[in-house]
Amino acid sequence: MSQHFLDTEGPGWVERGIISPAQLQQLRALYPEQPRAIGLLPILGSVLVGLSALSVVAANWQDLPEVLRLGLLIGALVGAYAGSEYFLAGGHRGLGVGLASLGLLLFGASIVLTSQLYQLVGYDVTGLLAWVVAGVALTYVYQSRTLLLLTVFIGAMAQGYSVGSLSTYSYATALLTAGGLGYYWWRRPDGFCGAVLATGLLWQSALLIEHLHLKITWFFVPTMLVYAVGDWQPDRPAARTWQAPPLVAAFLFMLGLAMFGEAGSYTDRLRPQFVGFLGALLLVLLISVAGKRARGRLGSTTDWLLLLPGYYFPGGLPLAVAALVVLYAYSGSVLYRGFREQAPERVNLGTVLFVLTTMVAYFKLTWDFLNKSLFFLLGGLLLLGLSWYLRRQARTLPPTDQPPTSLP
Amino acid sequence: MVMLPLFSPVPERRRRWLLRLVAAQVLFVLLVAAAGYAVSHYGRTVALRTSPVDPRDLLRGDYVSLNYDISQVPRRLWRGEEEPRRRRPVYVQLQPTAAGYHRAVAVYPAAPAALPAGHVVLRGWIGNVWRQGLQLRYGLERYYVPENTGLGLQRQPLLVRISIAPWGQSRITGLEKLPADTAR
Repeated sequence: MSQHFLDTEGPGWVERGIISPAQLQQLRALYPEQPRAIGLLPILGSVLVGLSALSVVAANWQDLPEVLRLGLLIGALVGAYAGSEYFLAGGHRGLGVGLASLGLLLFGASIVLTSQLYQLVGYDVTGLLAWVVAGVALTYVYQSRTLLLLTVFIGAMAQGYSVGSLSTYSYATALLTAGGLGYYWWRRPDGFCGAVLATGLLWQSALLIEHLHLKITWFFVPTMLVYAVGDWQPDRPAARTWQAPPLVAAFLFMLGLAMFGEAGSYTDRLRPQFVGFLGALLLVLLISVAGKRARGRLGSTTDWLLLLPGYYFPGGLPLAVAALVVLYAYSGSVLYRGFREQAPERVNLGTVLFVLTTMVAYFKLTWDFLNKSLFFLLGGLLLLGLSWYLRRQARTLPPTDQPPTSLP
Repeated sequence: MVMLPLFSPVPERRRRWLLRLVAAQVLFVLLVAAAGYAVSHYGRTVALRTSPVDPRDLLRGDYVSLNYDISQVPRRLWRGEEEPRRRRPVYVQLQPTAAGYHRAVAVYPAAPAALPAGHVVLRGWIGNVWRQGLQLRYGLERYYVPENTGLGLQRQPLLVRISIAPWGQSRITGLEKLPADTAR
């Protein structure tokens, strides 16, 4: 509630006798005026001056003496952090954290430019690793989502460079992302940060699988481990966003199996060693189910339907059909849970998944057998029927602007 | 959890930690610079010959592209059990020649245990594999020079001096023009 709102509405409330003048004063004291934001113009002005200085330096970079170049880099680095501290002390948290982020970026730039200054070639990611360490530490020191997100990207880039250019996997970067940032998220759960961090962890996992030359299905072991962590997270809404990236990956994979599983030519490339792989996956399943039990969310165990290893069956139409059945079962379970928990966004998601699955099934199974016009006619009728059914279902739901009661 | 002000937003503690963090960052940048000097001080210097890069390939930015003789080596130098694979890290054994520069005599998948006297190992990566040879990448293919002076250097054979530190880093320490007739 803002001061301005109280100023305009408050006297009206007093007039109608809803609150007393003393209570209005109390309300005002409860929501003190925010420190006044810094005007946009001085900031824009400083940015322009900074940019002009930057372009002068960049244009003459190679001609400057080495010591001066090093001094400029370090000066800018220290200046950014000092500025951030100045604005934080003044109560401007946004600007302070922004400058700290700039400091972190300048640290990375300093490492790269200094190595270039001395024509130095490294054979490992020590420099980039130091950057990730700085990012994780700053995330804790500033307690900042911005810095967390920035560090996820720095970690992703460092790992990409390590695997792509140096042909080594930086386990330290992966551990810092998972342990350092993961622990921060665990203690300070947040929806958007969770989704980005989980995506970053999937990227780290994918690069590990690529580096170790494993079958791509192994990707789902670390991916579902990320998912299982969400099952233990007490903050349910944040956990749900955290689990979205692993589920999207699993759903897309199953969808791919439904679309192309028929070819069969590549299915043996998907088949990891039976006992080891299924053992690892079952272990993750146990961790996940234990978490769901502990937090009273056993209903969401149906998510694991997407992990049914259909690729051990021989390819061909039966595999595609089996994948479709699984996809239907999954979207059905999302719809069912949405209705039961009266979560409209879950119902919408389930509907989208249901339609997506139907489209794939339809293309898959009918394209070859049916006349084209009949194909579109049937498709249209199917979608109309579905929307009619869902609308009828929706009418039995209470309006969405009422607070959902049974939502945990 | 006492080590970091994990979740305590007390400004004094934050400031203290920030001070240490910034000091560590400045120190790290200075260490990178120090590594530059240390590599040329403690490293062993090898001289490598380059051949001119295609002159139609104009200067890119402010560096010279260097194409070393040891950037392409015959396949028979490969000493690995498995077939060479693209992007794999390799260790290239260099031997000094009477002409004053080094040439590659072997390419190993792992650091060789023992080397003849005078031989040096330079690390690199396999860029490409052909039936006859290997293309190697060393990370030393760019030499940064003041702007608009690079073009002349690229068109003639050069002798590039490289320092290789015992701990593995390497850097270009010097560049000189070779008389055209000593080139291939």
